[in-house]
Amino acid sequence: MSKLIIKNLHAEVDGKEILKGIDLVINEGETVAVLGPNGHGKSTLLNVIMGHPKYKVTEGTILFDDEDLLKMTTDERAKKGLFLGMQNPSEIPGVINSDFLRAAVNARSETPVSTYKFYKQLNNATAELKMPFDLATRSLNEGFSGGEKKRNEILQLLLLNPKIAMLDEIDSGLDVDAIQVVADSINKLKAKGMGFMVISHYARLFDLIQPTRAVVVVNGKVVIDGDPKYIKRIDQTGYEFIKTELGIEIQKDEPDMNTVSIGSCAVKEAIK
Amino acid sequence: MERLIPNFDINKNKFIVLESSSNHFLLDLKDKKGSVIVGLQAGLDFDLILINYENVDEIHFDVNENSHVNVASLMHFDKKELKISANIDQNSEFKAYFADFITGDTKCNVVINLNGENSICRWHLASLSEKNQHKEFDVNIYHNALNTYSRMDNYGVVRDDAKLVFSGIGQIFNGMKGSKAHQNAKIMVFDKNSTGIAKPILKIDENDVEASHAAVVGKINDEHIFYLTSRGLSEDEAKRIITFGYLKPIIKGFEEQELKDQITDLIEGKM
Repeated sequence: MSKLIIKNLHAEVDGKEILKGIDLVINEGETVAVLGPNGHGKSTLLNVIMGHPKYKVTEGTILFDDEDLLKMTTDERAKKGLFLGMQNPSEIPGVINSDFLRAAVNARSETPVSTYKFYKQLNNATAELKMPFDLATRSLNEGFSGGEKKRNEILQLLLLNPKIAMLDEIDSGLDVDAIQVVADSINKLKAKGMGFMVISHYARLFDLIQPTRAVVVVNGKVVIDGDPKYIKRIDQTGYEFIKTELGIEIQKDEPDMNTVSIGSCAVKEAIK
Repeated sequence: MERLIPNFDINKNKFIVLESSSNHFLLDLKDKKGSVIVGLQAGLDFDLILINYENVDEIHFDVNENSHVNVASLMHFDKKELKISANIDQNSEFKAYFADFITGDTKCNVVINLNGENSICRWHLASLSEKNQHKEFDVNIYHNALNTYSRMDNYGVVRDDAKLVFSGIGQIFNGMKGSKAHQNAKIMVFDKNSTGIAKPILKIDENDVEASHAAVVGKINDEHIFYLTSRGLSEDEAKRIITFGYLKPIIKGFEEQELKDQITDLIEGKM
């Protein structure tokens, strides 16, 4: 049974501290809903676990199966069985989706997968996600719609079969039918024992995948770790109760100085 | 590889006329010097692969009406200056795929005239500038007739103190309604001492047209590397396939497997 243990994790971006002491344990087989107001560290947490170079860990530890994750490169973390479904998947021109997928599948197996077997897997996975097969033969995410990009993330999840999958707003940009398709895939993987950390702002996805736990991140810390009933409560009443019941002041992000000036055309438009 | 073109004739003015209905030619310009004019009979539909033109300074294509011509070339020689031009007649399509691995400094000037109504030009260049090389590509497409279409894609990689300049001009003249001019330039700059410059210029003197231009010059995007490594690819592998992505699509313009392999080997060997 795989286990991700996060202790007192502090991380900053451009000198600004975002994570301020995260303590969290995720077990393989669990489905954890990660909630919290915008800008309080949910995405940062997932990116730090995956090893995004933009974020600097200043304190704390992450162990994955008793190994020090923070000492590993991003690709080593992936090969150990972690996966991050991105909020904004990159568009990479000229890199053919299926070529990349095959390279990724091969990266984590001793012997390269046969062409026949790979295309069979790819075919099954695209069919399951009701994706047109031609998406697999196009440039990686280039010219994909928002929904197509998100499905492509799940396609990769299906092919790479990690131990713990982190999904960052995987449902944004998906229509109702597509959310159902994605949720069905997640549920199948859940049944096989895959662990999930899922960020979403909408209760619909959580209704469909039935998390086993809810974790709420506020001010860069985990303030609630427990019953999934919090998902419904937050969906209905927001985060106000965190202040009234737990006595935790939700910090507002102080707005940065606007460093981009609006061009003179727009200014003239506004005056008219 | 077949190195002859059936049924063509070269006279002293280096005027070549193709009159065959076969659809796949290798145009070997070995022993040719100065300028070469390739005159193409109307109604032809074929692929042309240009080879051995290191001593040619100018290649001109006359694409007559109702033709579809696909010209592909691997430029892997030393060439200081080169001019490529084409005149496209009505209802004809001219597709060009140039894979530039020229070994020294170079200046390449391209002029495409869309002279006939409904004529089309698709230009695709992949260029590698390295080891103190200075390369300039100046690609001009002129819309001289109604309902003409052009699409220009210039992709480049520059590294090891080299310089690469793409100047693209798409010009639609007054009255050439329904014309469309699109261009796209991308240069990946590998190191601090290398320079990439992209100038995508549109000159439009008509209202009823469609035009777009885009240019990206920069180093490999860290987000792209993170994305690929998060799927288990090593950082080196990620950089390699991103770089390939700039140069490799040119291969789709080549029919000959031998040339496809040669270009792939060149890219892989250099990266």
